Amino acid sequence: MKTLMQLEGITKVYGEGDLSVEALRGVNLEVGVGDYLAVMGPSGSGKSTLMHILGLLDSPTAGSYLLDGEEVASFSRRKLAHLRNQKIGFIFQNFNLLPKASLLRNVELPLLYGGMGRKERRQLAYEALAKVGLADRARHRPNELSGGERQRGAIARALVGRPAVIMADEPTGNLDQQTGIEILELFDELRAGGQTLIIVTHDPSIAARARETIRIVDGLILPNGQKAAA
Amino acid sequence: MNPAQFLREGFVEIREHLGRTVLQTLGVILGVASVVATLGMTASMDARRDQYFRESGGTLLMGVYNQPPGELELTARQRAKTGLKLEDAAAIRDTFDGFDLVVAEINRNHMVRAGATGESYRITAFEPEFKEMRNLHMGSGRYITAHDMETAAAVVVLGSTRARELFGTADPVGKAVNIDGRAYTVVGVTKEMVFYFQRSDTYNPHEWLNRLIVVPITSYMKRHQEPGAERIDELNLRLRSPEVHKESRDALEQLLRSRHGIEDFGVWDRKERIDQGESEGKIYNITFLACGIISLLVGGIVITNIMLASFTERMREVGVRKALGATGWQVFVQFLIEAIVVTVLGGAVGLALGIVFTWGIMNVMQMDMTLTPLMVMVAVLSAAVVGFFFGLYPAVRASRLDPVVALRYE
Repeated sequence: MKTLMQLEGITKVYGEGDLSVEALRGVNLEVGVGDYLAVMGPSGSGKSTLMHILGLLDSPTAGSYLLDGEEVASFSRRKLAHLRNQKIGFIFQNFNLLPKASLLRNVELPLLYGGMGRKERRQLAYEALAKVGLADRARHRPNELSGGERQRGAIARALVGRPAVIMADEPTGNLDQQTGIEILELFDELRAGGQTLIIVTHDPSIAARARETIRIVDGLILPNGQKAAA
Repeated sequence: MNPAQFLREGFVEIREHLGRTVLQTLGVILGVASVVATLGMTASMDARRDQYFRESGGTLLMGVYNQPPGELELTARQRAKTGLKLEDAAAIRDTFDGFDLVVAEINRNHMVRAGATGESYRITAFEPEFKEMRNLHMGSGRYITAHDMETAAAVVVLGSTRARELFGTADPVGKAVNIDGRAYTVVGVTKEMVFYFQRSDTYNPHEWLNRLIVVPITSYMKRHQEPGAERIDELNLRLRSPEVHKESRDALEQLLRSRHGIEDFGVWDRKERIDQGESEGKIYNITFLACGIISLLVGGIVITNIMLASFTERMREVGVRKALGATGWQVFVQFLIEAIVVTVLGGAVGLALGIVFTWGIMNVMQMDMTLTPLMVMVAVLSAAVVGFFFGLYPAVRASRLDPVVALRYE
């Protein structure tokens, strides 16, 4: 299997001197193309930090991160923004749709920043919304939609640019159980289509759907098979 | 993202926050309005002044009058040389081509009788070109002519006010007038000249033209002066073009000084006075403009403040945009264009308001309003400049936001 992301000795330190906090203490991780990976761990374990680094929102203090074979530590902010736009699709616990914009405009945003023309953008955004079953909701604003619809809209936004990997941070955290299951079924479909997925969660039932689960505690990934303390 | 996309994003943002936008633009609206009103007022008053000059012979008129130096003791020989004479007019005509009209003038008070009425009036002796110089029109009859000059004819042209005073409502043309015991015939009456700077004015700056009693200068010299004197009171001149103003005036003064031996004359110069008036007017304009600029600055500060105040509310938005791949530059441009779109819209409203202000002020002053393209340009440009400079800081701050921090912000 082709390697998409390769992390070696990644550390992340917040603050300086006595007040510094080590969020990650030497993480090694490999994610292949088409993987469905769950990252589990208790609050404060460093799983969000790991996700931010994987998603190029944050840079590690030390260590090597190869994305598609390229070392990202050397990249400029501009190049990182471009890579986020092209290779990564984000899904957040609280959806993070722009509240005053229609669902369609929200889904178009990544394409807008990618420099795509209006007509093509619209076309692809509709297709993405159709994929998550929201084609008839395109003109609605987020506050006119249910939680499940909002999250499906966010998924449409994450996948509209055909990213190499979709990263979801507690995607069902703000949803009721039934709706959460619907979202997870949507992930299963994406996975079946060959989409690489990384889900950060503390819910074992979600992790159970992933093909592979890593556990992270105190800034370190536990060896396979070892139970997390949480 | 291309500029059109940024612009569209800006408009969407404004439509989504209409209330905030209106608040933001108030300062800019008022600032632009006062700048526009200032420009409108000065443009209107300038237009009125230009009309005044145009109606009364243009901006290129100049005149020389006698102004004997007070303290100097002159010898008889010197005295004979001083004072304006008819030959001075001829010398100016012959020496330079900077003046296209030269008119000698004599002014004296004489007893004037017409029928039963008799009163002391000022008599003005002119050369015929005065009509062209002052843009006069005839109410009836004709003006004095070159032929009148050659023959020293006993003819007189009355201003409309004098004609009314001497002859009432009857047409004076062909009637006799007695000036200081000499008989003259009225050959024409000039049309009444009226001009008011404001519609409610009672002062007519052209009225002196209506009060002229004009005779040919040769006729006057023959009948009312000792032979050989040929002294005149004033020389009226018109420049050929504004470009020759300075050199012609200098040459004129130099010529008269050398002919008279001393500086015994004064010069009035319409162009010089207008130029001075313009620089004085500038001081008022600058005062008004400064007020406008200060309110524009205040408006700009309001924009910065409101953008920063709404900043926390928009932090999450910036975080999301960055997570989706917006570069710092794109966020910067988005915020900046938003600010500029807001201020330019405010500028457009301010322009309309400023025109209404101008109209109101001009109405109170009872003057007509004049609008210039400059007003539109200044309104739009100053608004855009304010948007640019006062949008810079919020835009820079937004562009530098760390996406992780911005996304976590609640």
